[in-house]
Amino acid sequence: MSLVTLVISIFNAEFYAVVPSIPCSRLALIGKIIHPRQVIHSVVHAIMGMLVAWCTAVMTKGKFQFLAVSCTTSESLDDALPQMCLNEYHLFFLLSGAFMGYSYSLLYLINNMNYLPFPVIQQYKYLRFRRSLLLLIKHSCVESLYFVRNFCVAYYFFGYIPKVWISTTMNLHLDSELHPLDSLTGLLDISLFYHAWLCGVFLLITWYIAWLLFKIHATETHHFPVQPTFAEETDQCLPKILNSNPPLIIKFLALQDLMLLSQYSPVRRQEVFSLSQPGGHPHNWTAISRECLSLLSDLTQRLIAQQEAAAANGRVKQPAGELKVSPQTPGAVVREDMAFQSPRSNIIPRASMSSLVKPSLTPLKTLSGSDVGSPLSSPSLNCKMGILGVNSPWHVSVQSPQVTRRGPKLWTSDSDLQMNGSHQKSSPVVSAARVGSEVVQPRFIYTWLQNKQEQIKNFLAKRVLIMYFFSKHPEASIQAVFSDAQMHIWALEGLSHLVAASFTEDQFGVVQTTLPAILNTLLTLQEVVDRYFKLPHVSSKPPRISGSLVDTSYKTLRFALRASLKTALYRITTVFGEHLNAVQVSTEHKKRLQQFLEYKE
Amino acid sequence: LCSCPPPHPKWKQVTLGHIPPPFPTLLLAPHHGRSWGEDTGRRPRFPSCHLSLLPGSATIPSLKHRLQRNVAAMAWKPLCASILAVACQSCVLVWHLDPTSLSTRPSSGCAQVLSYPGHSPVTSLAWAPSGELLLSASPVDTTMLVWDVSTENCVQLQWFGGGGVTYLAWSPDGSKVLAATPSAVFRVWEAQMWTCEWWPTMKGRCQTGCWSPDGSRLLFTVLGESVIYSLSFSEYRGEMQGQVGGSKTASIVADLSETTFETLYGEERVGGEAHSMVWDPTGERLAVIIRGNVAPWLCCNCSFFLFSSSGFLRGECGAQPQLIAFHPSFKKGALLTVVSWLDSMLFEVFSSPDGSGIL
Repeated sequence: MSLVTLVISIFNAEFYAVVPSIPCSRLALIGKIIHPRQVIHSVVHAIMGMLVAWCTAVMTKGKFQFLAVSCTTSESLDDALPQMCLNEYHLFFLLSGAFMGYSYSLLYLINNMNYLPFPVIQQYKYLRFRRSLLLLIKHSCVESLYFVRNFCVAYYFFGYIPKVWISTTMNLHLDSELHPLDSLTGLLDISLFYHAWLCGVFLLITWYIAWLLFKIHATETHHFPVQPTFAEETDQCLPKILNSNPPLIIKFLALQDLMLLSQYSPVRRQEVFSLSQPGGHPHNWTAISRECLSLLSDLTQRLIAQQEAAAANGRVKQPAGELKVSPQTPGAVVREDMAFQSPRSNIIPRASMSSLVKPSLTPLKTLSGSDVGSPLSSPSLNCKMGILGVNSPWHVSVQSPQVTRRGPKLWTSDSDLQMNGSHQKSSPVVSAARVGSEVVQPRFIYTWLQNKQEQIKNFLAKRVLIMYFFSKHPEASIQAVFSDAQMHIWALEGLSHLVAASFTEDQFGVVQTTLPAILNTLLTLQEVVDRYFKLPHVSSKPPRISGSLVDTSYKTLRFALRASLKTALYRITTVFGEHLNAVQVSTEHKKRLQQFLEYKE
Repeated sequence: LCSCPPPHPKWKQVTLGHIPPPFPTLLLAPHHGRSWGEDTGRRPRFPSCHLSLLPGSATIPSLKHRLQRNVAAMAWKPLCASILAVACQSCVLVWHLDPTSLSTRPSSGCAQVLSYPGHSPVTSLAWAPSGELLLSASPVDTTMLVWDVSTENCVQLQWFGGGGVTYLAWSPDGSKVLAATPSAVFRVWEAQMWTCEWWPTMKGRCQTGCWSPDGSRLLFTVLGESVIYSLSFSEYRGEMQGQVGGSKTASIVADLSETTFETLYGEERVGGEAHSMVWDPTGERLAVIIRGNVAPWLCCNCSFFLFSSSGFLRGECGAQPQLIAFHPSFKKGALLTVVSWLDSMLFEVFSSPDGSGIL
């Protein structure tokens, strides 16, 4: 038993993740399930389940104890030795243990139980454990019931396979006197059901407690020193950790510590605002603020890229010279698409817009070789024209026939974007470098390949079954964008609390020099987040299930991010008040700050 | 509206239009100076009150929701202009209002429903001063809920003994929470590691309480006694302390028993039990409603209290003050708003910076 617990704990520790991996499409989910890592996880859990079931069976004694028992009647008349028959109850138990282990592993994967949610409020570990214990027991009982029910069904249909296999390999006979268990009369045995359920409860409780304890200990706050007192501590101090690239859990813990110190610890705040000796440089503050601001700008860029992709997915690309106005995706961000107005067409089928923030950016893809490419592009485009609306369940309801010609993918995940982003980045670079040059051939092949790929994709898109697996779930895609938003929430809180505290505590004025950058980043992020929330599906909350052991807080991280962003801005404006007018920010940002000061946001 | 202080100590009375009684809840929107009130009927109405400092809006929004029954408490979210939490019979409704909108009926889609099985009726709410957490409590539930409103996650804080929570007050520095129970025990939680200490009272339950702005002192009153007690707490220092740090006993700082005063208009009997208390954000003034009179007391923020009554406020004959609140960020001293029931009058009292006048 202790071996089992040890193995389970090792698996917990190996598989944990602070950022949940959210499969965006059904195929991704299936891929996750059949990934070798997950297969190992399931197999090991099944074996562990069988071990636990064996332990409990042995402990119960009675009819479950042995795999082989002597048969009730002896078939042969003159056989002195009693024959050994298969004890089906024992086999049932072992298999139910294996099944439960496997189901636990599957649910672990699907419910993202390897995700470590950080607690809303800090509490002592024992209190956290005690609080969750009752819920855990209740949940285990109910889940065990479901598992036993499912297993009974499975055994009814497939029980004969292991039975026959075991009896032939171990040379046991099947007892003909007793009812075979893989029949209705056999399975309707209350005592069997009860024992199996009890075994399941025991198994689940021990495994869940191991998981809970791991979660509580892993998300415990860790105290990182801001100013190292000893030389060997230099690697552990907060600014250094934030600036290097530590494993994600360390970064999370560091940011959580930053958030706590900014609110509760005047002593450590002083260390943050201190100057180095000699030299008088505010290293600590610079490191911390730089890291937080880079995290936030990262997020801003990511959201902008997502919006571009979402807006572009509804467009059909124009051939050269033709001016077809494609309708806007309803609800999507309205963008002046330069590709439509410019006479040169954009061969690359993906987004050609570079930024949504400044409408005046010129298109980067002024391809000189577009005329060469266009004979090839027109067949692909013609092919695209012929695509009718695919009955993908994720389409926004169409209002005009032109909209049906939209490509099926309204939502893309990050991996798609990276692929396309690299195309976008490479092609403007390519076009910018080669404008005026006569080197057209490599680009020709490249664009031809792209077109073929697009053709195949569009052809497959017409197959409903393929779309069923490939179509991206918008809610899941949105959650995937914000899956590591907890970092940003803490960065926002930590930064804003430090800035607010600096109004009274900062003796050397280290914060004031970075105030414009901070305000710019926060206001830009707020703009982008507000615009992102106007996209379809983003502002709808997923249904909340209260009282469940499984933590689904990662699904609503975007709302927490938006709220904490606003609170952070209000915190800074409330503390500084009218003094903010002296800070150097752009005029539009000044206007927005004024709105915050007047509580009009 | 005029904002100049009256020449002699008689306060100016302002009529604002018909506000249907009863009128149990008042709170001041942070920094707006807008007042909102509601009645316990099914249709909360929110008249807006114009203060001279900030131009108020001309629209009077009214918030309706099918779950909004038996509203017992409301609280604006700090550091925010648009979020209002309403404690209802079966849940907590969190309204997201647009401060610049002109609509008079925000749709019920703007309201977020926070409910938890067994947690009803919800009678008290308290927002954390840093704006992230909302506490909700019910007198029949021993569990206090700490909500993270945007993700709708809640953490249950359970403490047996006392039976429910009747009154919540969060200290302005965000470090401690007072939770009064229906029995003769009240608890103070510290808001970092969420541990608590409890104090028994001698006679009855803790009726009301308020914190000093730095969280070091708690003033509270007990049902059935007409005194104000004070409990001091050790200075909040560092993190991961997990200690409330309250002193062992509370001391009496003010005696509100009935006395008779000679005034220009004859003898006046004032005194009695304190109904509710508020402490202004600068820590200089304390206002107490005593069974029908509003008595502003002057207190200094020193290591020992110097209480001196700077006067009493009296309404019209028969007017009963129900709600008092200080303006959260009045720059010229303190501005106290009193809501009384008497033919829909809303009285306001102004204070001049040098302390003259009524307050």
